[in-house]
Order: sequence, then structure tokens, then C-alpha cells
Amino acid sequence: MSIHSKTAIDAIKRSPFQAISAIFVLSLTFFVATTVAILVYASNKSLSYFETRPQIISFLKNDTTVEAISALQNKLSQDIRIKDVKYVAKEEALEIYKKATEDNPLLAELVSPSIFPASLEFSVTDLKLAEEVINEIKNEAIVEQVGFTANIGGERSLGDVVERLKSISYYLRLGGIIFVSALGLTSFLVLLIIISMRMTSRKGEIEILSLIGATPAFVRSPIIIEGVIYSVVGVLIGWTTSLISWLYISPSILSYFGQIPVLPKEPLQFFILFAIILGIELFTGLLIALTGSLIAVKRSLKRVK
Amino acid sequence: MISFKNVTKNFGSINALNDVSFGVEDGEFVFLTGPSGAGKTTILKMILREMLPDSGQVLFDNTDVTKLADKEVPLLRQQMGIVFQDFKVLSERTVFENVEVALAVSDVSQEEWSKRVSHVLKLVGLSSRSNLFPSQLSGGELQRVSLARALVINPKLILADEPTGNLDWKTAEGIMELLEKINKEGKTIIMATHHEGIIKHAKHRIINIDDGIITNK
Repeated sequence: MSIHSKTAIDAIKRSPFQAISAIFVLSLTFFVATTVAILVYASNKSLSYFETRPQIISFLKNDTTVEAISALQNKLSQDIRIKDVKYVAKEEALEIYKKATEDNPLLAELVSPSIFPASLEFSVTDLKLAEEVINEIKNEAIVEQVGFTANIGGERSLGDVVERLKSISYYLRLGGIIFVSALGLTSFLVLLIIISMRMTSRKGEIEILSLIGATPAFVRSPIIIEGVIYSVVGVLIGWTTSLISWLYISPSILSYFGQIPVLPKEPLQFFILFAIILGIELFTGLLIALTGSLIAVKRSLKRVK
Repeated sequence: MISFKNVTKNFGSINALNDVSFGVEDGEFVFLTGPSGAGKTTILKMILREMLPDSGQVLFDNTDVTKLADKEVPLLRQQMGIVFQDFKVLSERTVFENVEVALAVSDVSQEEWSKRVSHVLKLVGLSSRSNLFPSQLSGGELQRVSLARALVINPKLILADEPTGNLDWKTAEGIMELLEKINKEGKTIIMATHHEGIIKHAKHRIINIDDGIITNK
């Protein structure tokens, strides 16, 4: 172990309460940061889910010929207000139903493809056009009924769902940024105060080291290492606590949201997401530690001189 | 090795050094004597570049230390060993670590630390105290720690500011014996003291300062 690391660890051992307060504040910051990051991820995923889903489903009459379906599909594909037109046959509709009810296979066994209508699914380029397009498609001879994916959740139109999600996502992001920034600033200030206190308590030692030829870098190193230790430990505690909490509640969340992929369902994807957050937090933590330590050391060394 | 040329230093209206000039050769042992407040410590501080003169030159190995940039000062100090009247040992480090830190500061390879520290602790008679903290040592032992720290970097020059000032006669004699031994090994020593007994007993060149003026060289 280098003399600087040893000095830093000795300093932490000598003032455990300072160390605990620094680590506590940093842990809290990174716990909240991890939680907010996951919430932002979840809101983005929900938004993306609703945005990329076929927004309008036109169920076709049972006796519709393939030619008539093809003609309507071509007509829709050429309409500049419409995108991603897809034909879903009765068999495919059954498969979708089976997938949606896979928790209860008995439900799927009780039905046959004949009861599911074929459909043409598509999205509109702008949600404002949805009502106009829906009214037009309703007048098509082969169309039995027109459905909106927005019906889920009791919303009256898909626009409402998407707009509400966009709004939630925006406020979540904004609130998260403000809250995490406030906590980040608090952590930074706590680190600054603790390191300044450490410098003051080491004033005599710094003077002696300076007299025997220590460079400013030599004096700075243990203090910076100490700040880095606080940050890394703070990040790891905050991140781990958040990870454990999410692992605990994710089965309930996934079950509640069903098809909406608010969290990665695959364990590997789940851990990759958390690993990315850990990487970003370690970088941020080191940045806070280095900036805080350097500012505190610079100010204190000026006073020592 | 050391040369002061027309050095003047004032603290407000107090004339700490007045046109002081003297030289110290390689391997010499020189006493800086004079009453308290005469300017002895000011001279040592200028050699260490802890203080700058108002005018004049302070040369160390033909380099004017007053012209050194701040970043060059640590390198200058790493060539000198310093022994202080108040010991200036690091209270939260053991004897061994107090000596070791001088090597760390001087960028000596870590592999050599243990061997060199053990060697100087043996030289100053503190081998058995290496794991003790300063609070567990006597004044004489603390001064020997300070001396060991100065010696471990194998400096060209040792500056000792009243190293026997806080010690009883017997302990002071022990410290002087060590300094004599080190001087015989070729180290240059400048020692500020007003301890008449030591000055008479040691028989080295004396630079006497009084009211900032050198009265003999």
C-alpha cells in the first residue's frame, strides 16, 4: 500500500464520524440517483412502447376477400398520414391472444382462430390526425370496427395516453435532475467541509512536510485519495441499496405493468442496465471527489502558506 | 556550499539582518550564535527558502535560492536535512513512519525505505523505539527522531535550529556527539545555538550575530 493510501485510511480511522457523514450523504445521493435513473428509464420505455405500438386497429368483416384486404392495405400504405400498415390474419390474432393469456392457457384452449377477426393495424404520422383517419376508415365497406390501443387505462384517445406519458416522463426527468442535483451539491459541500476540516487538523503536519521538501502533490495526494474513498464507497452503498430494492420490487412491477416493458425482463439486461448506471455514478462520484478535494486543498494550502 | 552576499531583511521597523555576508564550505561544521532575536533563525529560514531577503543573495551550491520558482523549492529542501528546536515530528505517526516520510517526500524508491530507516534509527540509537509514537518518547528521543529524519535522505547539508535548546545537558551532549559523527562522515552542518557550553566544547567555527549584524566570521 502506498504511503498516501495509508495516510488516507489512517485519517478515516481517526475521524470515523466525519467519514460516516460523508459516506452517508454520498450514499443517499447515489441511492436517489439510481432510483431516479431507473424511473426515467421506465417512463421512457413506457412512452416508447405506446409510441411504437400500432395506434389504430381496423377489424375486418368476416367475409372480406383477400383482394379487398390487399386493396385497402395498398390504399392505406399510400396515404401520407399513415405509416407501418400491417395485416394481422385470424391465426396471428389467436397467437397474440395466446401470448397475452399465457398465464392462463385454459383461456387459449377455449377459442379457435375463427372467432378472431383479421385486422389492419397502422399508426398515424401525427396523433392529431388520428380522429380524422379513424372516421375515414370507419366508412370503408370491409371495416367492421375500429379500435384504439389507447382504450387501455380508460383513456379516450391514444393522444391522451401519449401526452400524459410524455408529461410524466418530462416532470420525472426534471424533478429527478433537480432533486439529484440538489443532493449532488449537498454531497459536494459536505465533502468540501470535511476535507477542509481535515486540512485544518493536518495544518501542522502539512507545514512540517513542506519544510522537509514535500511537493504540493505529495501533500494533496492523501486528501484526494480520502475524497475518492468516500465517493466510491458512497456510490457502491447507494447503488447496491437501490439495486436490492429494485430486485425486490421488480417482480411486482413487471406483473403490474404486464406487456409494458418498464424494466428489462431478462436478468442479464437488468444487470447491464444497473452496470451502466454504476459506471456513470462512479464517474460522477470521482468527479465530485476530485473537484471537492482539489478546491478544499487549494484553499487550505493558501492559508498554510 | 552556502554563501550569503549582502543580505538584508527587515520586519517593519525591525532590522533582522543588516547587510550580512558569510560563506560555509563543504564539510564544515559552523555554529550560528547570538542572543535570542539576533537573526539566527532568519538565516536558516532563508537557506531553506522559507523566507526571502529584502536584498542580497543566498547561494546554495552556486544557485541563488531567492531566484528559485515556487515549484523548485521542494527540490532544494530535499537536499537539506533539518533539525528543529521543537522537533517538529508528526504526532500521529510512529518513529519509523516519521523517518520514512522523509524518504517518501524525496521520491526514494520504496524498496529502500525499510533498510535506510532501520540504518539511521540504529545510528541514533532508536531501533528499539521504532514502533512507538512521539507521545511515548522523551525530549532527547524526539530530537533523535528529528535527526534521523534529517539524515535518512543523505543530505548535503544539515540545518539544526537550536537542536539542544529543549534538552538537558547530558541529552544535549548525546545529540552533539551524533552531529559530530555525522560531520566527520562529510556532511556540512550549520547549527544555530546560544548554548555556551556546547560552543566551547565543540570548537568549531562560530558566526556570531547580534542585532542582525555579523560580529565575527
